[in-house]
Amino acid sequence: MRSAGRRWHYLLFRWALMLLLLAVAVGLGYALLSLPQQAVGLSEQVSANMATSGVQNPVTAVLLNFRGYDTLLEMAVLLVALLGVWSLGSAEVHRKIDPEPVLSLLVGGLAPMMILMAGYLLWAGTNTPGGAFQAGSVLAAAGILLLLSSKRFPVRLMGWPLRVVLLLGLGTFAAVGMTLLFVSGGFLQYPSSLAGAFILFIEAAATLSIGVTLAALFLGGRPQAGPYR
Amino acid sequence: MQQIPWEVMLILLPLAGAMACFLWPRRTLLFGLISALGVGGCVAGLGWRLLEQGAQRYAVGGWGAPLGIDLYADGLSLLMLIITALVGLGVSIYSIGYFERRQAILFWPLWLLLWSALNALFLSADIFNLYVTLELLGLAAVALVALAGGANALTAAMRYLLVNMLASLCYLLGVALLYHNFGSVDIAILAQRVEASPAVWAAMGLMSAGLLLKSALFPLHFWLPPAHASAPAPVSALLSALVVKASFYILLRLWLEIFPQTGAAPGQLLGVLGAAAVLWGGIQALRQTRLKLLIAYSTVAQLGYLFLAFPLGSSFAWKGSLYLLLSHALAKAAMFMAAGNILRFCGHDRIADLDRVAQRLPVTMIAFSVAGVSIVGLPPSGGFIGKWMLLEAALRAGQWWWVIPLILGGLLAAAYIFKVIGYAFTQAGVLRQTNKVPMSMEWAALALALAALLLGLVALWPLSLMEIGLPFGGSEVDAIQRAEQS
Repeated sequence: MRSAGRRWHYLLFRWALMLLLLAVAVGLGYALLSLPQQAVGLSEQVSANMATSGVQNPVTAVLLNFRGYDTLLEMAVLLVALLGVWSLGSAEVHRKIDPEPVLSLLVGGLAPMMILMAGYLLWAGTNTPGGAFQAGSVLAAAGILLLLSSKRFPVRLMGWPLRVVLLLGLGTFAAVGMTLLFVSGGFLQYPSSLAGAFILFIEAAATLSIGVTLAALFLGGRPQAGPYR
Repeated sequence: MQQIPWEVMLILLPLAGAMACFLWPRRTLLFGLISALGVGGCVAGLGWRLLEQGAQRYAVGGWGAPLGIDLYADGLSLLMLIITALVGLGVSIYSIGYFERRQAILFWPLWLLLWSALNALFLSADIFNLYVTLELLGLAAVALVALAGGANALTAAMRYLLVNMLASLCYLLGVALLYHNFGSVDIAILAQRVEASPAVWAAMGLMSAGLLLKSALFPLHFWLPPAHASAPAPVSALLSALVVKASFYILLRLWLEIFPQTGAAPGQLLGVLGAAAVLWGGIQALRQTRLKLLIAYSTVAQLGYLFLAFPLGSSFAWKGSLYLLLSHALAKAAMFMAAGNILRFCGHDRIADLDRVAQRLPVTMIAFSVAGVSIVGLPPSGGFIGKWMLLEAALRAGQWWWVIPLILGGLLAAAYIFKVIGYAFTQAGVLRQTNKVPMSMEWAALALALAALLLGLVALWPLSLMEIGLPFGGSEVDAIQRAEQS
């Protein structure tokens, strides 16, 4: 009797939920159809200020200059995500089985290419699509391949050297922002002649951090080395 | 160099502290306490400036809205920052004794990042930037819940994460709709441009739904009791006192600035849900057999009061709601800390077995009782002032029926608080094995509880801070000021 009642409740709940979601979908669809065809946007303002942004790619200009503060916080989000994974448990750094020869061979050829590619993407970001996040993802992919294929990872690198690289992007970004506060009087306010150099500097540091953070996320726990063991 | 930008310092200082703690795990305590004290100093600096010069706007990167991101500080942000600093300082001191080293090295960087996210959120004037701060805040909170370890905490953390993601995405979709329609994500600019249309209604619905889910308004509160009850005590204190209030703060800003002309119906709905939360949370709290779950359900009830201001909509009602928010933050943090002490002392938190805790942990029990006075809303506590203001606002608006949840909620709160105190004073037959509780943990709880009480005695001071920049004070005045600035 009881389980039948429960099932009935469950079915009722599911139908109610489906009706609710349907209503939301219809409402959203109506709202989307009623949107103006021509979005106002900020693209005009962005292109008007490109000359002083220090880069030629509008996406990079928005991410690192006009709305650089958002990106600074996003770097902190990455760090929090990693700390979240580390608070769950520790992960094995040593692998017990030998990697397959095909994998080893493939990684041996691919990893250097990927690191080169990451460097190119970072550099290209100033005038074409690309930049720290793309470069960092490629770097992370290389890192994951290395983690998969190597039998043991050097444990002495898993202590403070790892933590320094993890913090490099956020630390550099914040430090540059603070320095500019004293140089040009505003937080993250680049002098337009040096904006390009500052942005590339931040992006280079961020690329390393993003790559290593994503690869460390893949590890699935804090490495068993140093005080975080 | 011109004046020090306290706003930027408030965001960067805890961020730097978190990085230092992460880099030198052996020095977490030192860096953590320096950051906590530093943030306190920066809040004082910002408060001083607001008192002298009125509301402040800071253009990050020198671009200014709509191209760049603006920080904005008025009386509302200042009070949120002050309460965050007070609770933060208390939690920092409390956690010195609470965590063993292995947990401490993860707790401190996460907590300082959470603090940075809270400060950034209360200072942001940009709805997309608010989304980023919400992400940072939500993820840090989830990680802190997971810190407790064990199946319960991990399940609660996972559910909390999924709820957070859903809520964030709802909010982000609303942001996208507003940006597409009006070409800006700055709150002040949107407030001037926004006009009623289906897309604005959809944006309001989505953003409000996301924020209500994060603020755990009944019936969207289902994730809160397990998450708040299974987290480590200082984390429970942070979650109940500050994290749920952050999403409420954004909702308040949006309703005050961007969606004021939405009509009465949505406000009435929020009021009804708030009233239901007060009653449901109170009844559930009364039914609990575990202390931490009781306190968590009490949070559900107390959050309900905050929404009673939405149907009233008067500046007096908003101020009452904010007052209640501030005193609840202090009292609930104190209460969770006291519960943590009891849990440490007895090794369990079964309410029926709290034999003679009162005699053996007197400071903790005083803290719990004093915090209870504010939760119930008895004079002379901050909770009393907030409820009184809401009550008067309801009568002034001729909507007397909102008085019912205010009074019934108080009675329910009295019942569940006295239930705990009653058991704590019972004579025990057998003395059980107990653990020592560090003094800092007892006194930190008492200090916050007394601060909640004090809030009832110095009511004029926070109320005058609420006038800075007139966050609640009539949209006409605000509009004129904004027109003059631009």
